Amino acid sequence: MAGLARMGAVSILMMLAALLVVLSIAAWPSIEEYGLKFLVSTDWRPNELNVPMKDAAGRVIIEDGEVVMETIPPSFGALPVIYGTAVSSLLALLIAVPLSFGAALFLVRLCPRRLIGSISFLVEFLAAIPSIAYGMWGLFVLGPVMQNYIEPGLHAALSWIPGVNAWLFEDTVRRGSTVVTSEIPLTGSDMFTGGVVLAIMILPIITAISRDVLKNVPRAQIEGTLALGATWWQSSWEMLRYSRSALFGAVMLGLARASGETMAITMVIGNNNQINPSLFAPAQTMSSLLANEFAEASTEIHRAALCEVALILLIMSLLFNVVARWLVVGKGSRTAAAF
Amino acid sequence: MNLISRGTSAVACAASLLLAAGPLTGAVGVEAAGGADIRLAGSGASFPAPFYKRLVAEYQQLHPNILIDYASIGSGGGIKNITDKTVDFAGSDAPMSKKELEAAGGSDNLIEIPSCAGGVVPTYNLPGVKGDIRFTGELLADIYMGKVTRWNDRAIASLNHGLSLPDTAITPVWRTDGSGTTFIFTNYLATQSEEFTSTIGMGKQVKWPLGQGGKGNEGVTAVVQKTPGALGYVEQGYADNNDLAYGYVQNRDGNMVKASPESVSMAGAGAVSQMSGAILAADIWNQPGSDAYPIASFTYLIVYRDLNNLESKQEAQALVDFLWWATHEGQKFAEELDYAPLAEPVQKKVEGALRMLTYKGERLNVGQ
Repeated sequence: MAGLARMGAVSILMMLAALLVVLSIAAWPSIEEYGLKFLVSTDWRPNELNVPMKDAAGRVIIEDGEVVMETIPPSFGALPVIYGTAVSSLLALLIAVPLSFGAALFLVRLCPRRLIGSISFLVEFLAAIPSIAYGMWGLFVLGPVMQNYIEPGLHAALSWIPGVNAWLFEDTVRRGSTVVTSEIPLTGSDMFTGGVVLAIMILPIITAISRDVLKNVPRAQIEGTLALGATWWQSSWEMLRYSRSALFGAVMLGLARASGETMAITMVIGNNNQINPSLFAPAQTMSSLLANEFAEASTEIHRAALCEVALILLIMSLLFNVVARWLVVGKGSRTAAAF
Repeated sequence: MNLISRGTSAVACAASLLLAAGPLTGAVGVEAAGGADIRLAGSGASFPAPFYKRLVAEYQQLHPNILIDYASIGSGGGIKNITDKTVDFAGSDAPMSKKELEAAGGSDNLIEIPSCAGGVVPTYNLPGVKGDIRFTGELLADIYMGKVTRWNDRAIASLNHGLSLPDTAITPVWRTDGSGTTFIFTNYLATQSEEFTSTIGMGKQVKWPLGQGGKGNEGVTAVVQKTPGALGYVEQGYADNNDLAYGYVQNRDGNMVKASPESVSMAGAGAVSQMSGAILAADIWNQPGSDAYPIASFTYLIVYRDLNNLESKQEAQALVDFLWWATHEGQKFAEELDYAPLAEPVQKKVEGALRMLTYKGERLNVGQ
């Protein structure tokens, strides 16, 4: 039987290794072609372009009365999706972390004993909802509310602040020599809505782990702060400070979930491969890019570029998880039960 | 990844279709028990998938012993599957490229026939505007390049006398996922504007300089409907089924034409001179013909010219019969689902191509 268990453990490791190997092989043409430029280029154009060939002086070359055309190969750069993943995940953390810590403190310190079970169950139940359900809710319920109430409300409330209007609500495009400024249409399918949906999705995991972490703060520690005359808030703050590395781990696990989330984010983020500083402009994450493009990617280099994005995403989530586990399990020994 | 399993999923799918067939079910049981059932698998383009699923269901009623499964996994997936010989036929919106043909053994090795045509229409959201807006290809290209940015621009007004167009910004809306719809639309715009060709280019997926994206026809529609001033492109069938407002487009002869199965069929007929042999690929955007709709394309079915990848001659014969039926009697379902049926001269070319099919060198009965 021990052999069987060992085989189970080994096969899981082998699956992970196989994933990395297979993705790396599939991504190889793109890695070879673009190298490190892949990580910093913002150009994502899967089609070839036929453009008139130009000489050194920038004049169009004409031979035998016909314009000589040249083919520009497709070009792939992952920076917009890396940016999209980073910003949407950070936005989600910004919203979810205070709420989760608050909920965890409530469950540990304030909640009447008979309610703890049902409230914990409800929070954990949020984690069991399939992500497509969050996506549909985001598209059909949250999206219109964002578009018609919250975003216009934020516009009205914030746009008087110098710089904010240009940052959040306007788009400036340079077309040749003219600079065109246009209002960003508020559609409810944008980075902001994406961040809010992600926040709701990562709330349960951060809440559940922080609750277990806070429960394990030694009684003496809490009583000590109270004996020194700390208020409720001050002693709560001490509890958070005492378990900060484990809480940080909980946040990292939330981040790992947010950055890999696919179905829901694809439905609400607007799916536009661009880096736009405004939170109300459509964006794209690594996972939504894959969901959008993989099915019809017909050239080898396009598929390879998508596989490279998947590889980056896999390595990133691995890192988040390793750091998180090290912080939660490795340092605060008793909180291992949280997993 | 969506893999085609010829085993259980085909059976399950066929079983559900047969249940839907009602009174025939009993007869099917008898035939199936006799061991006469033939299974065929296809995969590929999602654009014609509703049409193919309907064809398969109708064909099943006529021939209960033949089970056909079509998985809509995208044109790229279909071409990959037929190249790997994991399916018996593939669907693709774009004709196979030279490279793809070579990977599958060269153009002498395959047959590619159009199964129906589809149009792409410009749909818009302009509250208060009564009547259909008229576009030219050049205007659409300029809008998508960001050169025409407001609805009351002179370029639009001069085509639409009598309509009062608002001073609203135009938000171009496009597909975020790779699609045959984008392929048709960009290829058409490329015929209308050199600048479009060299800055945006054509393909199933391109890099748009401005606007908003939506995933699938439904995603584009959703963005258009919630953005006043938006202009998007969707399949004509989808626009009709969902009662979307869409405009006229000027064709090569200079007439303003609205997309319909008839006007798209006309476009197909206009391209017949381009078609010959076994690979019946033809670009049917911007075709001559006074009533031809200009933003149109065929969608294709691909099989091996010698069907030795199938298990038996009987199976190969069944596939040929199905293809013949699909491109003849089956065409009436195309129109029902708002696809454009093949025009007669195109059908003649398809018949010629189907007659080339063999099984391990042996001739098959075609069209009987």
